[in-house]
Amino acid sequence: MYHTLLNSPVSAETQMLLPTVETMVGVLYFGLFAISFDFISGYTGYLSFGHAVFYGTGAYTVILIANGKLPLLGPGTPFMLSLVVGGLVAVVLAILVGLVSFRLSGVYFAMITLGFAQVLYVFVRGWDYVATNPRDGPAVGPSHAEGFQIGVPGIDQLSLSIGVLTGDEVALLGSVLSGTEVSYYMIGLVVLACYFAMQRVIHSPFGRVLIAIRENEERAIAIGYNTYLYKLGAFAISGFFAAVAGGLFAGFKRSASPENAFYFLVTGDALLASIIGGFGTLAGSLYGHLFDETVREFLSKAGQGGGLLPYLRALLGQKTLDATLVGDTTIGGLIDLLLNGHASLYVGLVFVLFVLYVPDGLLGTLRARVGGTFAEALPERLWGESE
Amino acid sequence: MILEALAEFLTLGELGGVIVNGLAKSALYVMIASGLTLIFGLMGVLNFAHGSLTMVGAYLGGLLMVVTVTGGTAPLARLGLFFVAIVVVFALLTVLGGAIETTIIRPLYDRPPIYQILLTFGLTLVIEELVRIVLGIYDLQPLSDWQAALATKPQFLRESVMLGPVSAGWMSLFQILLGVVTVVGIWTFLTKTRYGLYIRAGSEDAEMASALGIDVRQVFTVVFALGIGLAGAAGTLLMWDPTWGASVPLAAETLLPAFIVVIVGGLGTFRGTVVAALVVGMADAVTTWWFQNAIQFTGLPELVLFLVLVVTLIVRPQGLFGVEEVGGH
Repeated sequence: MYHTLLNSPVSAETQMLLPTVETMVGVLYFGLFAISFDFISGYTGYLSFGHAVFYGTGAYTVILIANGKLPLLGPGTPFMLSLVVGGLVAVVLAILVGLVSFRLSGVYFAMITLGFAQVLYVFVRGWDYVATNPRDGPAVGPSHAEGFQIGVPGIDQLSLSIGVLTGDEVALLGSVLSGTEVSYYMIGLVVLACYFAMQRVIHSPFGRVLIAIRENEERAIAIGYNTYLYKLGAFAISGFFAAVAGGLFAGFKRSASPENAFYFLVTGDALLASIIGGFGTLAGSLYGHLFDETVREFLSKAGQGGGLLPYLRALLGQKTLDATLVGDTTIGGLIDLLLNGHASLYVGLVFVLFVLYVPDGLLGTLRARVGGTFAEALPERLWGESE
Repeated sequence: MILEALAEFLTLGELGGVIVNGLAKSALYVMIASGLTLIFGLMGVLNFAHGSLTMVGAYLGGLLMVVTVTGGTAPLARLGLFFVAIVVVFALLTVLGGAIETTIIRPLYDRPPIYQILLTFGLTLVIEELVRIVLGIYDLQPLSDWQAALATKPQFLRESVMLGPVSAGWMSLFQILLGVVTVVGIWTFLTKTRYGLYIRAGSEDAEMASALGIDVRQVFTVVFALGIGLAGAAGTLLMWDPTWGASVPLAAETLLPAFIVVIVGGLGTFRGTVVAALVVGMADAVTTWWFQNAIQFTGLPELVLFLVLVVTLIVRPQGLFGVEEVGGH
């Protein structure tokens, strides 16, 4: 599909508008992280501002296992298993943090989780066991040159390698999928499975209690629920999936750093995704992050891939670009200045506008419009009322 | 080795130096956090844009100094200009703060408080990127400190003076002085003026205050504006400090300590903020000394700040001077 569009007469426009496959892989694993953030914060109303700590734990665990630095688990441990191990480490961590933190609420809860996360962030940044240069973070060593395998555990034929520049290529139905595209589908499978798992939990009686906590915690207690345990359980589940997301990120990127795994702004990005997509709509976070990334890529990628900047450069031509506007500022210079690497500006503006005018987010607003989730509302719209 | 270090730590010269350092740090923390605590205490808004506005203040202050100071300006004249810069930046950012409150924060008061936090978080992204763009226009390196601004510092502030056996930097003494002035100023404003009374009444019970005829909306605007102004003034002060300086990452670097101080002190109590700033500043100074002299672990002081936060919240969830009831906000 993508290739067809690229070879069509509107190829330049396609390239400008659509994100690259590399970006989409990022959307998938980070979208999973945003979903796990929404799982706890969107459904219970407790803003877990240090959620990046679980993402980082997952990423670091995967890399440490691959480098043979974790006791009992050799470098040969299957990737799927190390994802689960990372998840379990995060569960333990989540329970420890949660035991203390859930005695607080509101802003205080946000701050104490942030506090714990920052303690770990600073600690990891200074701990030279995880990497020779802990400030830059660990990378997967040469023992894993060919990329990690995702698939059905125990059956090698059904597993495919993922990774930037390292993954498998697959010939399928006459077209060849590049390594990155294979990564896209394989990571997508894991993300999908995780999403369904979380959705299952949300639609269970357990999930109902979480929503009850968000709406009115005192009443939930009065009915007889031990909300503390429910919150703790939800926090642990959320931590598990956040760590899986981190593991996928590390598996694909083959390295991680304190800044892109543990820092509080990583949580901030998940927050952006959840709000834009719709707070308290699990899938919305994924769309929110897709939207976020699309804005970023469309408005401010220089050089490789799509975006408005290369398109404008090609469209306007060098003559126009060199024309001066005011003083010695050229049009090209102005476009560069406004579009090159300033994605946060536009993302921030979009975010502020969403908070002000679209408080339910993309998916929340759409659901309110069609009156229910799409799975329920769409058949009704198409085939009329049933029963 | 630890014992030797302890013996050295307890000598009068070293201990005195650490205390002066700690006080100087506390003064900076109280300046960074007091604006945040005013806003937080009255409105319950954890203003995420506080750090970014501090950073804007640092650049504005730096700009004023770079424009007005030449190589021949005498040290005392530089100090005078510095105070002028603080006042100007305070005034500018107060206006900006008022504008922000009336245009984008006001529509959110009837929503859950989480939305106000989110909004200011988005605001941070916008402010930081705008600053980056402006810096890009003028070809200033946004990541490292702005050296031209640092260079306007008078020479004597780089030197130290001996107070008995204790060697104290003039810069530290200067910061302690400014910190004391800030604390006394805000305290006087809060307790001795009519407007301060409104603010205190508003943070106790906004509904009751408005029932008694206080225009709470207006109080909100004024407090938000003043809080932002204080953030800017703090930024101007940080511009000369060798460990901070005017740079874009300053936003995140100041935001987190300010949060810690406000939370440790207790929701919106100014007294708590002052005490917390002292605690945090001292802890910072002590661990910095140990890190430089005995223990090898990078980032130890940063770690300690967050440990103070976590331990306080575990032992006393409402903060040192906070009221239990308000904690659930």
